Amino acid sequence: MRIRRLFKWTRFGIFAVFGLIVLSTSILCIYTVDTELSAEYEVNTQNIAKTIADSSAGILLNQNLATLQSLVDQFLEVQGIRYIYITSETGEFLAHTFVPGIPEEILESEHSNTAPVERSLPGMGDFIEVGSPILAGVAGTVHVGMDLDVVALKIQRAIGQQVYLISVMLLIAVLASIWFVNLAAKPLGELLAYAVELAKDGENDELGERELLARDDEVGHLARLFLHVSRQGGGRGLPANTSGTE
Amino acid sequence: MQCSLEPGASPDGKWGPLVTRKSLMRSGLAALLVAPFTASALVAGRGQESGGSEAESSDRAEGRGATDEEIVLGVSAAFSGPSRGLGTELYRGAMAYFNHVNENGGIEGRRVSLRLYDDGYQPDPCVQNTMRLMLEDKVFSLFGYVGTPTVTRVLPILKKFQDEKIFLFFPFTGAQPQREPPYGEFAFNLRASYNQETAGLVDNLVQVGRRRIAVFYQIDAYGRSGWAGVRAALDKHGERLAGEATYSRGEKFTGSMRKQVEILQGVAPDAVICIGAYAACAAFARDAVDLGLDVPIANLSFVGSENLLKLLTEGQDDAERYTRQLINSQVVPSYEDTSIPAVQEYRDLMARYDPQVPADLVEEEYAPFPHSFGSLEGFLNAKLMGEILRRLGPNPDRAGLEEAVFSIEDFDLGISERVSFGPDRRQGLQSVYHTVVEEGRFVPLDDWGVRFG
Repeated sequence: MRIRRLFKWTRFGIFAVFGLIVLSTSILCIYTVDTELSAEYEVNTQNIAKTIADSSAGILLNQNLATLQSLVDQFLEVQGIRYIYITSETGEFLAHTFVPGIPEEILESEHSNTAPVERSLPGMGDFIEVGSPILAGVAGTVHVGMDLDVVALKIQRAIGQQVYLISVMLLIAVLASIWFVNLAAKPLGELLAYAVELAKDGENDELGERELLARDDEVGHLARLFLHVSRQGGGRGLPANTSGTE
Repeated sequence: MQCSLEPGASPDGKWGPLVTRKSLMRSGLAALLVAPFTASALVAGRGQESGGSEAESSDRAEGRGATDEEIVLGVSAAFSGPSRGLGTELYRGAMAYFNHVNENGGIEGRRVSLRLYDDGYQPDPCVQNTMRLMLEDKVFSLFGYVGTPTVTRVLPILKKFQDEKIFLFFPFTGAQPQREPPYGEFAFNLRASYNQETAGLVDNLVQVGRRRIAVFYQIDAYGRSGWAGVRAALDKHGERLAGEATYSRGEKFTGSMRKQVEILQGVAPDAVICIGAYAACAAFARDAVDLGLDVPIANLSFVGSENLLKLLTEGQDDAERYTRQLINSQVVPSYEDTSIPAVQEYRDLMARYDPQVPADLVEEEYAPFPHSFGSLEGFLNAKLMGEILRRLGPNPDRAGLEEAVFSIEDFDLGISERVSFGPDRRQGLQSVYHTVVEEGRFVPLDDWGVRFG
């Protein structure tokens, strides 16, 4: 047990190094995933808005609003898209997906604006809304709201999976290091016990027949050296096979 | 009475092949799994599944869509879900007529059969059903579809396969997409449009001084179609929508519409026009009355009047409280008016055959009405379809369908209005009727001023 103290700082060092690796990797991973996925969702939302805008130009000009609504409804099935609305060039709502009604904040917003804007709609959640003009805005504007909670959940899930993987690897590494340390500590413990026995009863013949003395490593060399010193009483000569390191 | 048609179908052998969504998915999955290995066997398997003979398969493969024994029409409609009453009633009315035709020798010796699929009033299943009806079942034409969101999604398929000359006959929707380019040429409508229904409601409401009109609608293509109709009708009177509230398709009567009522109360409307199905519209009418929104509440024909009334009155001590402000527009005359020959015929055949939806399609209990506006519409649809098939002559071919339809001029369906079709006239009837609830049933509204002025 005392021998294991020898490795206390080694273990601590391993934990610290691995912990640092996990922490820094996780932070980098969170930053990268968050940034990349947020940007990707925003771009996807913009692409959806543009697709609807491109598809709806002819429909709008024919005033076929049922078909327009049908088109909008299909895009609402895309994961994360929580609302879509199309306004005319005068700001009239021609199609939308809001239930039970169009939120006040949306009603009061600038409908020709197509720049991404973050919205917090009571009872609905937080969204990033992007717009796309229809026929350069002369026929209206398409607005698509991406649920930030869904995006955040997706990002958290992606990050969580990576952090989970890193954590599992850390755990495996720490357990392996403990195992390796114990592998080294166990013969040292036996050597210590052997040295203590030699110190107590160095003339005991049984001490010259231990398996420890047969080891072909540093522990074996030390054991034989301790036996020799104990028997010779002070290192006047050493057996040939304990003469030094390998 | 054996009405329909294809052998090996329902347990009682009465109504033709029954294909539920479950069995469709099972067979579809199986087909996908074996397709790479046994393509030829699969084709044969489909023929056996539909109960057709080799000659039948051959005929259909050639694109005729009919055999020497029968003409198969494909139906995708709501037989399950909160709107199952719509598909059920429409089907019952149609089958009452087709049973009668088949019992009397069919059309040129051919029985008329309906191949039914349930779409639950949902667009995606409807699209899948349509693909199967067209590509696998090779039906003669599509008939009696239910709903705007479903039909709207099917129209592009008809355009895609326009060379097959498969037309959609008499869908249970008054929306514009199947009445206008680019898809209007692939469908034939019998009923008046939602634009006509909403214009009728708006004109009469405005006439009695109710100018602030709000809309409660289903947030899909159907609701938008009605919303656009109300908006356009108000525009003619120099008015705008006073307000709007929405609900999601599939809402049940047990759901709350209080938020919607509160939104509309905020704009103080003189009347509300609902564009929805019976469960949600009944819930809205109930909550409107409970919250004190005491204005006329109008519904379109699609709502399913009898089901709406049943929900609002069943188990109510003071049922009149919930129904006295109701106005329902209809696209067929009252089924109570037996002075109309077609109504008398409809009532006779409904009593005689009392058609039921095949048991395999029934997932939830539904008690059909002896008579309803929906089943009367289905009956009239079938009657006109029968006439069109007759005009195809002894060798019915899809290629001649359009010509046969256009030959219908001043045709007497047995109601006061005569039916005509032409290249620029793809809707047979134009009349809209208005009804209110009296003594627990819908009766014609004679005087708007007295009732709602």
